[in-house]
Amino acid sequence: MSTRQQGTVLFTGILFLVATTVVIQLWLLTVSMEALLGGIMRTLVPAASASTVLLCINASLLRYVFRFDRQVRSTK
Amino acid sequence: MKSENGTCMTCNKTEKWRKDFPIEWEGDNYVSRREMVKFLTLGSFLLVLANWITVVSARFLHRGSKTEKLLGLSADLRENGSALFRYPTAKDPCIAVRTAEGKLVAYSQVCTHLSCAVVYDDAEHSLFCPCHNGRFNLDQGAPIAGPPTRPLPRIKLEERDGRIYAVELEA
Repeated sequence: MSTRQQGTVLFTGILFLVATTVVIQLWLLTVSMEALLGGIMRTLVPAASASTVLLCINASLLRYVFRFDRQVRSTK
Repeated sequence: MKSENGTCMTCNKTEKWRKDFPIEWEGDNYVSRREMVKFLTLGSFLLVLANWITVVSARFLHRGSKTEKLLGLSADLRENGSALFRYPTAKDPCIAVRTAEGKLVAYSQVCTHLSCAVVYDDAEHSLFCPCHNGRFNLDQGAPIAGPPTRPLPRIKLEERDGRIYAVELEA
């Protein structure tokens, strides 16, 4: 299996992980909007913080993808 | 016999369409997945931004109101009865209720489901929305029946010298 083929499999896995976290973030946003309309202020900051943590996970996965890509290009 | 990319496996020839559209499937899959991860991460960033905008806007939307407004005489509002008023502006209908125990409470009259006007149900001792049979309790304005899920905004009242004043819209 070539490095690029391995990358395709790896990126598919990462893609599913990132897509799952984005769905969770969407859910967090809808919860925040509902809480905002209901005046439940204590929910807003934890939801935004959780969303930020998920973004950090996504960003680190994207960084890994770019690193892998750079490695593939350099070995070509 | 032909392979996936249009090459004749026995004669080792490449088909004409393959020459016209030289797509490398492996490379294409690799790049498209990489770009999709990038796109989703950008979406993730936008969702975080929207979440923090919600936090900031909460400060402006629910800052409450602390203007004092005279509603009327205490004697006019009998036990297990209600009165309508507008607070903090003339566009905000509210309802004041004196419970059977003599406690005075007030809430926004706008139902949190679909904005119909709630009325006091003196038989059930609760606030009733006739549009979809929603019901709110008098203690906290919390929904107890029907489709509403959010409580009614509460208005703080004060009784002084035989008069009732609305003093604060609680968030």
